[in-house]
Amino acid sequence: MPGASVISETWLWAGWAAAAAPFAAFVLILFLLRRRPGAAAAVSLAAVATSMVFALCLLVCCVDMETPLRSVVTWMISGDTVISAGVHLDGLSLLMLAVVCGICLLVQVYSLGYMAGDPGFARYYAFMSLFAGAMIFLVLAPGLVQLYIFWELVGLSSYLLIGFWFEKFSASRAGKKAFVMTRLGDVAFLAGLLLLLVRGGVMDIAALSNGAAGLSSGMITVSAVLIFGGVIGKSAQFPLMTWLPDAMEGPTPVSALLHSATMVAAGVFLIARMFPFFSQSDAAMTFLLAVGTVSMLMSATMAMVSRDIKQVWAYSTISQLGFMLMALAAGGYFAGVFHLFTHAGFKALLFLCAGMLIHAFHSNDMFVIGQGGARGLKIPMLCMAVGAAALSGIWPFSGFASKEAVLATLVSLENPAWLIAGLAGVFLTAYYTFRLVFIIVFPAGRGQTRAEDPARGVAYAYGAMAWPVILLAFATLVLGFLAAPIRHWLAAGAGAHEAVHGPAWLAPLSLGLVFAAIAVAWVEFGRKNASQTGFVERVRVVAELFARRWYLDDIWGWAVSRLLDRGAAEACRQADNRVIDGFVHSLAGAAVASGRVLARGHRVMIQARLMIMFAVVFGLTCIMLIWG
Amino acid sequence: MIVPYTHVILLASLLFLTGMICTVLRRNLIMLLLGLEIMLNAAAVAFVGAGLHLQQIEGQAAALFILAVAAAEVAVGLALIVCIYRQTGTLDPECIESDVCELE
Amino acid sequence: MSVYSIFFYLIAALMILSTALAVTRKNMVHAVLFLVISFLASALLFFLLGAPLLGILEVVIYAGAIMVLFLFVVMMIRIRATEGSGFLLWHYLGAGGLSALYVAACLLLVRHSGPGTGAPMPAAVAAPADFGLYLFERHWLGIEIVSLLLLVALIGVLHLGLSPAGQRSGKGGPY
Repeated sequence: MPGASVISETWLWAGWAAAAAPFAAFVLILFLLRRRPGAAAAVSLAAVATSMVFALCLLVCCVDMETPLRSVVTWMISGDTVISAGVHLDGLSLLMLAVVCGICLLVQVYSLGYMAGDPGFARYYAFMSLFAGAMIFLVLAPGLVQLYIFWELVGLSSYLLIGFWFEKFSASRAGKKAFVMTRLGDVAFLAGLLLLLVRGGVMDIAALSNGAAGLSSGMITVSAVLIFGGVIGKSAQFPLMTWLPDAMEGPTPVSALLHSATMVAAGVFLIARMFPFFSQSDAAMTFLLAVGTVSMLMSATMAMVSRDIKQVWAYSTISQLGFMLMALAAGGYFAGVFHLFTHAGFKALLFLCAGMLIHAFHSNDMFVIGQGGARGLKIPMLCMAVGAAALSGIWPFSGFASKEAVLATLVSLENPAWLIAGLAGVFLTAYYTFRLVFIIVFPAGRGQTRAEDPARGVAYAYGAMAWPVILLAFATLVLGFLAAPIRHWLAAGAGAHEAVHGPAWLAPLSLGLVFAAIAVAWVEFGRKNASQTGFVERVRVVAELFARRWYLDDIWGWAVSRLLDRGAAEACRQADNRVIDGFVHSLAGAAVASGRVLARGHRVMIQARLMIMFAVVFGLTCIMLIWG
Repeated sequence: MIVPYTHVILLASLLFLTGMICTVLRRNLIMLLLGLEIMLNAAAVAFVGAGLHLQQIEGQAAALFILAVAAAEVAVGLALIVCIYRQTGTLDPECIESDVCELE
Repeated sequence: MSVYSIFFYLIAALMILSTALAVTRKNMVHAVLFLVISFLASALLFFLLGAPLLGILEVVIYAGAIMVLFLFVVMMIRIRATEGSGFLLWHYLGAGGLSALYVAACLLLVRHSGPGTGAPMPAAVAAPADFGLYLFERHWLGIEIVSLLLLVALIGVLHLGLSPAGQRSGKGGPY
């Protein structure tokens, strides 16, 4: 049918265009518009809006197609291995594309207000465009090589954005930390890729998924675990999780973007994208389940004692990513991906609200914000409440639907420990979320609230920041009811038949846990004359453990200083001094000495030497032919 | 049907011998370099002949690389010769050698 | 004896003759011109042996570029035809011994050569497109290395060409 092929051709071009537009904006801003912030923002917004329009068109028109659309050009041929680049459109990538474009667009609009007057305004928008473009190409990648390239590009642009205020030492340090820690995981990822390439010779995700590579099961497990290394780095899972809270040094819209749809989502997206491949190995999936569970619980405990509003959301991001990985590892393709989408929405919402509060009160400390009179700012507070409810998983917000799907997947596992861990995570999530909300809404010195404080908050650029927040809050309300169509679209790609709703006791149980947690938070932080110290903070050792992030940073620091600085570097230095230098010195001495000897021979004429050389060569030929 | 392989090799070896004699017996650096070129060309002929004999394209690839290396070698060699001529005023290998000997 | 073999022997005779003439000329311009003839003949030989691309490259690079470069240098230096009047006797003796050794090596090689080398070879042609594809599929690294080599040669020649100018202005030295 020629008509259909023409139409699909059009859609593929739309996919290419959606991905290319932000890149074009990046180049344009970087080379032409660096001195003109207004034009730069306009170009960047136009590019992302273009991508958004294309993404929506694609989503509306081809999301329920039977087979994925692919447009692939051969990039490299080496021997039998063909490495291709292109776009791959199926349910997962289209939905993800829409989410990425939507959140990028909203964050960029929000940044108009948040970043107004910053000296690096144009640079900021250039990097934002690069970020968006890299993520879109990553989402659309049909092969692992393209995915890896844009994976690194996402890492690079997040490094640039986290260290955006590079004149601040802590910011540049946080950028470096993010870059190096994610790179640590990427090394494993690259090793996994090379292993697949050498053993299987196939880099195409579809081919890997349907087992065309002909890999043995042990090889699949090894390469899958190596690739998980990259996911652990990028999605900030245990033990590489500590870069994410430090990444708060960047501008708040960057954090919103980083935490919702782009950087950390890339890791989960990779798992979802290669889900059929990974499901071939039970051992790898169990490993992933354990990693997700550990990081989910650990970061939730860290969030319980933090005073920094952005850090709480950062820990909760790690925790929620752990949830997604648990769901995916337990075989819940739809649950994991759906939670990724809903989380992208409400986490962006929470960060943008936090950004408005920080912008208004010039502090990250939630106690300071609360006492400054944050309850006077209606829009951010209301939207934050919506986001918090979604994060805790209260009906009818989107978090409820996705979290229930995740728990339903965990129920289906044989070992009940995973489910218990998941329920504990739900409890902790609701606790720390509402701890934050209560601290801000009911500050301790509530009796003598200063009346002029809300007026102070009105002074900032409200419009550009308020609208994205309201839109996101609306999306958070609606998204939960779209579970069925999203499941249908995703199922075209994966063919997973899994439970969306668990047994009847599950939803009441989790809701009960949530409300119990809220009640605990209310007793400790919300009610009049509350002590405003959590039950964890009463036990000094545990509080210290949680506040210091389970000493993970110290362990890493110790490892780096001991193993790298003192161990490896010292060994290298010794080896350099003794072995290499000694070898070179003796070599030089030998060369000089033999040079003196040979110099005598050199005084013979050039052609005589030539003759000797020829004679040796032919003599050797004769000898080899006679006795060889 | 073309000639036997041995005839091609014979041709190449004769060319090589000519080049070798040229390098060894001419008292002129430029001629020495010419001799080198003749020898390289002989090797290329042998490679192409062997490629045809074994019905493999590999021989031609080797000949192509010989061509490229010869071009680089000639460029550097001639530049060196020009340099030497500017400094010593002669192209006779023996005189150059004796010059160097004097300088030491 | 097919027409191809007649061509081959004609070309071979031309090559050997012109090379021998080139090697023995006193005047270097003549020597270079004879060598051009020899290289043109070897280009014909490449055509005959089924390597048209190499034949063209031989004309372009060897007979064209390299020989013209020689001609330039010969013209530029304008050396008087005062080649040294020969060598000592032991040098000629050494050269004779070397040639004998070479012939011995060749004869040994012929004795050790594999089967089928005496039979006439079948004609075959590697089309330039096939050859190019093969080259870039199998030998892309070699191509890169050779191009790097050419670049290095270029830089080296530039350096060699520039250095005397600097020395002339300075106090001058052997190198």
